[in-house]
Amino acid sequence: MPTLELKLERLEKLVGKKLEIKDLEYDLQWIGLDLEDVNVEEQKVKVEYNPNRPDYSSPEGIARALKGYYEIELGIPSFEITPGEIELYVEPIVKKVRPYIVCGVVRNIDLDEDEVATLMTIQEHLHWAVGRDRKKVAIGVHDLDKIKPPYRYTAVKPDSVSFIPLHGDGYPMNLEEILLIHEKGIEYAHILEGKEVYPIIFDSNDEVLSFPPVINGIITTVTDETKNLFLDLTGTDFKAVNLALNILATTLADMGAKIESVKVNYKDGEKIVTPNLTPEKWEIDINYLNEYIGLSLSSKEVIKCFNKIRFDAKQSNKKGYLDVWVPAYRGDIMHIVDFTEEFAIGYGYEKLPLTIREGCIGEYHPIQSFSNKIRTIMIGAGYLEVLNFILSNSDRQYNYMRQEYLEKDHVQILNPVSKEYNTTRTTILPKLMETLLYNRSEEKPLRIFEVGDIILLDSSEETGTKREVNVSAVSYHEFADFTEIKSTLDFIMTSLGFIKEYEVKPSENPSYINGRYGDIYLKGIKIGEIGEIHPEVLLNFKLEFPVAALELNLQKII
Amino acid sequence: MIIRLKKQVINILKVLKKKPSEVIATDLAKELKIDYIVLMSAINDLIEHDLGYFKEEEVYQISLNDEGIDYLNNGLPERQLLNILLENNIKELSLDDFLERSHLDRNIFYVGISNLKKKRWIAQSKASGENKVFITAEKFPKTVLERFLQKFKENPTLERSLLSKDELVQLDLLNKRKLVKKNNRTERIINLTEKGKKIDISKIKELEQVSKITSEMLSSGSWKNYDLKPFDVTKPGPLLKAGKLHPMIKLINEIREIFISMGFTEIRGPIIESAFYNFDALFQPQDHPAREMQDTFYLSNPEVAKLPEQDRVKAVQETHENGGDSGSRGWGYDWEIDTAKKTVLRTHTTSTTIRRLAKFYRNNEKPPVKVFCIDRVFRNEKLDKSHLAEFTQVEGIVIDDNVTLCDLIGLLSEFYRKLGFKKIITRPGFFPYTEPSMEVSVYYDKLGEWLEMGGSGIFRPEVTYPWGIKDPTRVLAWGQGLERIAMLYFDRDDIRDLYINPIKWLRSQPY
Repeated sequence: MPTLELKLERLEKLVGKKLEIKDLEYDLQWIGLDLEDVNVEEQKVKVEYNPNRPDYSSPEGIARALKGYYEIELGIPSFEITPGEIELYVEPIVKKVRPYIVCGVVRNIDLDEDEVATLMTIQEHLHWAVGRDRKKVAIGVHDLDKIKPPYRYTAVKPDSVSFIPLHGDGYPMNLEEILLIHEKGIEYAHILEGKEVYPIIFDSNDEVLSFPPVINGIITTVTDETKNLFLDLTGTDFKAVNLALNILATTLADMGAKIESVKVNYKDGEKIVTPNLTPEKWEIDINYLNEYIGLSLSSKEVIKCFNKIRFDAKQSNKKGYLDVWVPAYRGDIMHIVDFTEEFAIGYGYEKLPLTIREGCIGEYHPIQSFSNKIRTIMIGAGYLEVLNFILSNSDRQYNYMRQEYLEKDHVQILNPVSKEYNTTRTTILPKLMETLLYNRSEEKPLRIFEVGDIILLDSSEETGTKREVNVSAVSYHEFADFTEIKSTLDFIMTSLGFIKEYEVKPSENPSYINGRYGDIYLKGIKIGEIGEIHPEVLLNFKLEFPVAALELNLQKII
Repeated sequence: MIIRLKKQVINILKVLKKKPSEVIATDLAKELKIDYIVLMSAINDLIEHDLGYFKEEEVYQISLNDEGIDYLNNGLPERQLLNILLENNIKELSLDDFLERSHLDRNIFYVGISNLKKKRWIAQSKASGENKVFITAEKFPKTVLERFLQKFKENPTLERSLLSKDELVQLDLLNKRKLVKKNNRTERIINLTEKGKKIDISKIKELEQVSKITSEMLSSGSWKNYDLKPFDVTKPGPLLKAGKLHPMIKLINEIREIFISMGFTEIRGPIIESAFYNFDALFQPQDHPAREMQDTFYLSNPEVAKLPEQDRVKAVQETHENGGDSGSRGWGYDWEIDTAKKTVLRTHTTSTTIRRLAKFYRNNEKPPVKVFCIDRVFRNEKLDKSHLAEFTQVEGIVIDDNVTLCDLIGLLSEFYRKLGFKKIITRPGFFPYTEPSMEVSVYYDKLGEWLEMGGSGIFRPEVTYPWGIKDPTRVLAWGQGLERIAMLYFDRDDIRDLYINPIKWLRSQPY
């Protein structure tokens, strides 16, 4: 989750109200913010916001919501946009690589240190939250006075254009070189992978403003002297580029800058004017809202709730409905259901009553009940329960156990972060051997068991695998032997009522000692294995006493 | 017949033989510096051989109360008053002045005056118009009562049965003046029988001390000839290597009970899951960061899963692309079926929940349906103190007509109350597949702070509509990681401990 640092003093100025840290600690949670950290000494708080609210990526955005919460300002905040004359032309060739661009002009900026910092963080956050790390949206901020409109958004062959990139060595590079050598080029090359042409923005003197989504040209560098800004937002999702621009523009407007629109002319299509901060209108059924949350508020009260979260709302011509306007910096409204949450936040989660509904009779899952029955039996037999992961390591699961391991016969994890886990377990026994290894210095006898899941490949299943439940038990001490574990098995079978129906047939298994191993059968079906562990296996697990073990498949017994 | 006794019993017999008369058991135990229980067991051995006996007697003991102790140290009030007159050589004094000089409580003062008058040591007269006292005697010997009081100096408790008749009269006086307290208890009085008094100690044999009773001793009756060595009962016993449930399993079973008691039925689903059920059916766009490799375990074998019936897959596809019939705008991108077929280790049990919604659809079920799941889930993370790649998730779901967010708050309060958290708060939150969403925190008394527990919300229409669950039928859901609760319950601070089975810890866990 993204986090943001807020200076109390700055927030107070933006909200227009004296704020106490302890009140903020309480209040912020009701507008959907999580207080991560409080620094009383420096009067700062760190808040965490949810990725559906990129408009919370600046103190200005948070202040807007707080003003509504404190009822200092209600409804959609007003932002003035001066219609501008600056134009940008979009050439059809960019469709292939990065089809959308929207722009804005910001005049008379006079940013203090904090505001400059905000401008940097908001770009970072928007790149992450809206832009999917620049893939969907990339932002360029330029010194307007160093470039000459109209501008041109087009795409060119990688080696056909050279310019001096920002944060480079000061030499011109072509686009291909930038992707190979420049720090940002290396970082974002994957976005342009396989493209024949790369996107680029020129001014009317053919100076390069930007090579989105990678790097700006050095010519447009923003400095202390910069008075006017040009913003370009390019990307693959029209809604997303607009949302990011709107959030950026409204934040700059809240900092006191003048926002001016840009004419973006798609040569083969629409001519649009951006930023477009026109609120979007929805028609919402008041009953629907009340019934969803469990309230029964009047239309007037519902309107107040929306106003508090900075939406405009009024009675609709349609009876029982409201017309609700959503500000252009909100990108998370895609269904009428999204208004239910806004309504609840406006009302205040802390005030929501709780109601209890009766009904239904609960039932255990049969395999879980059976697992618990087995656990009771094992405890009666004196075994201590352990728990291990289903994730597994093929080396210890098979090689240590002297079992053959063929990748095609086992679940394979494609991308494990740690090599520790490359498969899932098919038996529990190796996990118990590992548990003995970690506990081998404990007071003996060690008698442990586990009831848990195993996963087997099965191409007839929907997921290509089936999940079953096994129980395994091991006894580890100086005198552990087949007889002991056979007694345990007899006890289990007696307890389950199968003592007369089950049998152990002598067999062979590389994990066990020859002549001290058998397959366990119930009504003619193999349900498990029992025996004394092979000395090589004991040594693999660094054990110094014999181990007697059994494993049963519960699915086949239940 | 030869008498065999334990060594200690013989020693006690020796002591008793030297005593002129019967002895009180507690006194004897004190004298021999042995435990009362040990002494009485020895006496029982004597009784068995008809060498001794004991009788129980009610013992009345008397001691002074605080006021009595005060008089023992400073004299009775009458003596105190008399001393004032004698020491100051006063022959006559007004009663009022006397009271003032005495610093005594008014009532006690008059008791003293009245006793002095009874002794005729002073007289009282109003002759001069003023109420005055005069000394009328010359000698003021110690009274019988005063002498009796002194007995308490040597022995703070006196036994009533040992007092003489005259002393009993004095005791009665003290009693009337409310200066004594009485304790009654039963004492065992030990005495030897005639046989015991006569027996020659040298003829008694010592019993052999053994630590174990053998079956031979029992069958032959020879156990009588042995002294069983006493054990130090205060010492801890050796470790019992008993069977025990794993604490996590107990916790899981406890939560399972809570769900069952709330009318929820347990469900279970595949651990290896298709991306379709794990992500797509939850309206998670295919480019969502949570679906990326660094967060999710994808599989290379089996590489793909089969998808459910075509029309349902199409319904899910449409919600992504344009909202389908859910009333949503959708995400507006081209949904790819191959991405949905990929196999993953499920990242949440919600995939199993979706399978339950699918079953609801296929069987044409009617609400309400209440189900829960407590099961393993996976995240492609490096293990550390607070992160596991495999952990346990708890999830509860209600499918019902006209259910509301407030109903969900009701369920959450009930669920966490049963888990032992009396106060909860629900705050706005965000989860891609619920709207509205709520974060749940509980108040943990032990730490005196609020702790984040999990998430909850109403499933988005984009999630439920493909399975025919349409407004006003809604799906309430909540879930959280079990380990969060476990760490509190078991007071651990390294989450890995829950799955590495330190046997010492497992053996010593109270839970």
